[in-house]
Amino acid sequence: MTRTHIICALTFTVMASVFTASTGLAQDSSQPKISSSSIQILMVDSKEVTLPAEFQVALYENLVAEVQKTGKFQHVYRDGDRSATDAPDLVVLHSTVHGFKKGSEEKRQVTTVAGATSINIHCQITDKTGKSLLERDVTGKVRFFGGNLRATYDFAKKVAQIVRQSS
Amino acid sequence: MRMTSRGLLFGAVATVGMFLVTPCMAQQPQQPGTFPQTKQVLGLEGVKHNATGTLTVQKGTLEFTSGKKKADVPASSISDVVTDKDSQRAIGGVVGTISMFGPYGSGRFLSLFRTKIDTITINYHDSSGALHGAVFTMPTGNAEEVKQDLLAEGAHTTIPTAPASSAPPAGTR
Repeated sequence: MTRTHIICALTFTVMASVFTASTGLAQDSSQPKISSSSIQILMVDSKEVTLPAEFQVALYENLVAEVQKTGKFQHVYRDGDRSATDAPDLVVLHSTVHGFKKGSEEKRQVTTVAGATSINIHCQITDKTGKSLLERDVTGKVRFFGGNLRATYDFAKKVAQIVRQSS
Repeated sequence: MRMTSRGLLFGAVATVGMFLVTPCMAQQPQQPGTFPQTKQVLGLEGVKHNATGTLTVQKGTLEFTSGKKKADVPASSISDVVTDKDSQRAIGGVVGTISMFGPYGSGRFLSLFRTKIDTITINYHDSSGALHGAVFTMPTGNAEEVKQDLLAEGAHTTIPTAPASSAPPAGTR
């Protein structure tokens, strides 16, 4: 009886994961493609939510680094870069913080289950005129290892993945 | 068997000694405008993330040196300086990570030993106007001094520090 229960649970888990994976793939294939040689990354906007300065800077710097690593754009311009105005097919990445929960590294290390840090950010890629080309909500998290700022790295990696898939 | 207990005793004494000696080493006198044991968490070009080195604020420039690597930021290009407080695990690095897997929850127990640190975040613009940011951590009590030094050298901040108590109130002669 117990063995039957285990087999049923395993079957359900496998089916659920297959369904989730197929749904994710379907979403990926329907993504709009962005064909541009240059992108400008704006500073993360945190007017709605109070975000510590170190998190704001870490989000921005990690975002620039990870988007550069993708190699999908010839030029990755920073916020305020005057040379970006001359780029012919520039797209702009806007990031707005919607939620932030500062966890505790100490709690994570001591309890494993508590103290997670998470940042919810709405990302939007627009063209020069401001027309939206892509919009996504991305969450950066740190659950087990690393300091709180690691959530910013997690966020940047996810955005870079979206950029890879959409260009 | 006797050798094992001696070894354990020696290890325990060495560990306690290490904790006693470390704070004494941290209290070495330092030159004004120089802040050793500063960690550059991220942001400076040409310097690795989490590199430990010396931060210097002199002659209108913020300079961070870690080994042979050096990065300069003109103080006048800094548009914002913000300080904060945090804490970190007393035993960090590779040893700290390995100790997390210690038996009988010893890694978790060691996580309770933490040291307070100051965080300083700067925003600055390069010659083409592009915005950069950098985050530093340093021993507690230093961040406010770094901020004052940077402001004196021409940096700007969105969070002004409290005025000195010795300053006369407005409207008095």
